[in-house]
Amino acid sequence: MKRFITRNAPGYIFLSPWLLGFFLLALGPILASLYLSFTRYDMVSDPRFVGFDNYVYMFTRDRRFWKALDVTFTYVALAVPARLIMALCVAMLLDKGLRTIGLYRAIFYLPSLLGSSIAIAILWRQLFAADGVVNQALAVFGIQGMAWITNPDTSLYTLVVLAMWQFGSPMLIFLAGLRGIPRDLYEAAEIDGTPKWRQFTRITLPLLAPVIFFNLVLQTIEAFKTFSSAFIISNGTGAPADSLLFFTVYLFNEAFKFFRMGYASALAWVLLIIIAAFTAVAFLTSKYWVHYENERD
Amino acid sequence: MKTITRRRLLGQAAAGLALSTMAGLPAHAQTKTIRHFWWGNPERDKRTFAVIDVFQKAHPDIKISGETIGWGDYWTKMATQTAGRNMADLVQMDYRYLFEYVRRGALQPLDAHVGKSLMVADFDKGPLSGGMVDGKLYALNIGSNSQVIVHNTRVFKEAGIDADLINWTWDDFAKACEQISKASGGKVKGSDDLALMIEVFESWTRQNGHEFYDKDGNVAATVDDVASYWQFWSDLRQKDAVRPKEKTVILDIPIVESGVAVGDAAMSHFWSNQLVGIQAAAKDKIGAAMVPHKKDGAPGQFIKPSMFMSLTRDAKDVDTSILYMNAWVNDPEITKILGLERGIPASPRVRQALQPALNDVEKLSVSYFDAIQDKVGPLPLPAPKGAGEVRDAFMRIGTDVVLGRAEAKDAAQQFVDDAQAIVERAR
Repeated sequence: MKRFITRNAPGYIFLSPWLLGFFLLALGPILASLYLSFTRYDMVSDPRFVGFDNYVYMFTRDRRFWKALDVTFTYVALAVPARLIMALCVAMLLDKGLRTIGLYRAIFYLPSLLGSSIAIAILWRQLFAADGVVNQALAVFGIQGMAWITNPDTSLYTLVVLAMWQFGSPMLIFLAGLRGIPRDLYEAAEIDGTPKWRQFTRITLPLLAPVIFFNLVLQTIEAFKTFSSAFIISNGTGAPADSLLFFTVYLFNEAFKFFRMGYASALAWVLLIIIAAFTAVAFLTSKYWVHYENERD
Repeated sequence: MKTITRRRLLGQAAAGLALSTMAGLPAHAQTKTIRHFWWGNPERDKRTFAVIDVFQKAHPDIKISGETIGWGDYWTKMATQTAGRNMADLVQMDYRYLFEYVRRGALQPLDAHVGKSLMVADFDKGPLSGGMVDGKLYALNIGSNSQVIVHNTRVFKEAGIDADLINWTWDDFAKACEQISKASGGKVKGSDDLALMIEVFESWTRQNGHEFYDKDGNVAATVDDVASYWQFWSDLRQKDAVRPKEKTVILDIPIVESGVAVGDAAMSHFWSNQLVGIQAAAKDKIGAAMVPHKKDGAPGQFIKPSMFMSLTRDAKDVDTSILYMNAWVNDPEITKILGLERGIPASPRVRQALQPALNDVEKLSVSYFDAIQDKVGPLPLPAPKGAGEVRDAFMRIGTDVVLGRAEAKDAAQQFVDDAQAIVERAR
């Protein structure tokens, strides 16, 4: 026991701010929301226990719940690969030993810092409005643009483009990964006359697999949680015609617009389970395609 | 100077710490502090803070802590504060939410103070009784309101429209829209497309002889009501006489982006206390028209208490709160600052006192109010729980009609079904 204390105490002391924060600020609300998900609670009167009613309603009768899932899954399926490909391409461009590389990295990272902000979402709405910059640019080439954001057929794709543009953080991680690939492998391939494309598929991608995996998991979780951009661009409603009804937007509306805290808590738990399931699948399948350097024999 | 003992110092430090984390509690023990929370806009906030200044000057021992936020976030914050048992002493209340808050015990009745510290004897009976729930007064009227079709007088003149804007019909309205669009070569449309505005649809339903919600809180608007309403706007859209659909499906646009403000449409729907705001945003002089009527139909419009002030369950200093409340509706200096921005005051004395100082647009509101007095129907019963969500559903399902993705008839059926399901679930 004494040894345990002397050996581990410093660790726990250093951890304590986080632990305190977790137990005081996170764990309580998490458990409270689990309880509330089994109640009807309008924030004014006291919560009333209703058992599994919220969950039953959600899966059997709530059309908008399925619509929100549809929108969110479509977004995740499009935005995550798009952003990762974009990030990898830019990372490979920046991987060449430029003199002012630091500056470029900063510039390319900038959209991601701004990207989560309200300002960019508002800017996006202006860009893709019926008389916005995008259509003005298209008009130069004689193309009659459409109302991208107020057209339910295209509104979601404007958000995918926005997601692509916010490639900064996966790009930096890719860059670090690329730097970790031994140069001599490429030199050897070069001498053998291997074409660039083959070098990419046979050297870069496999050796980058752990980093790709990391980015994939992280970005998928991020994408499921997308909120502010969709909220701002759709004026908080998921409009037009629910085409931007992201799961989190729906959840927010249920909680803070219609005061169904209990139902919103149930939605939050379903989202948690979905994200956990995706992460678990990623980890389970990873052993077939992710290989780490130290297991190379 | 008092000697400071260690214990007192410690106590004060602790108290200071506690106070700084709990906003809204009295900063000094001697001063009485009350919190006043309202939804606002820059103009309203400016006036309200000016009122607070005046009141504090007259009562140096009272501190009013003003909190304000836009309508969209107001009810969220209020619900959160209610849940946390931390409501402001006085809150601005809306007719739509009054019953909900009263029935959940979040407000205190004012009857005990009436005639003693709250003077409302000479008030108009209608606006005053609008704040009563189950026979008790829970909300003090601080302004009345009605629907209004705001129009650009210059465009109207140029297009040569001479309809009787108080007694006109939907046919007159449609004709005016076509005329304006034609006269301007399509540059200025006749009107904002109001297909998604449930507020106007509510008038439409009443003109058909029934309310949107019946007395049990069920949806009484019929599929025919909804379908004919959406069809009316679809026809105008077809004729290119209203604002294009790309602008229509942006929901709840701010005043400054409405057609009348931007200048690409000649008419728009608002509440009468917004006249001041829309005139500030528009380039041309505006006029006020009634929501059009049906031939031989019932009145659709009504005069509603636009804003109330309510005393909450969490109010600690009731006497001071009532003192402040009373000043709001009776103190000449304060009512002058408030003007008509929150609507028409319920006290005839106040209205009279305001008369000489009114500017053009305020005069317009008053004369509009005078003109509609005997044209309006009774105040509808308060909407049931879930009404806010029904409004969202109306806009959402209507969007499909506006975009041409659904027939008015089918969409109307879906809306009526959804709306009824929503109010049932909210019970």
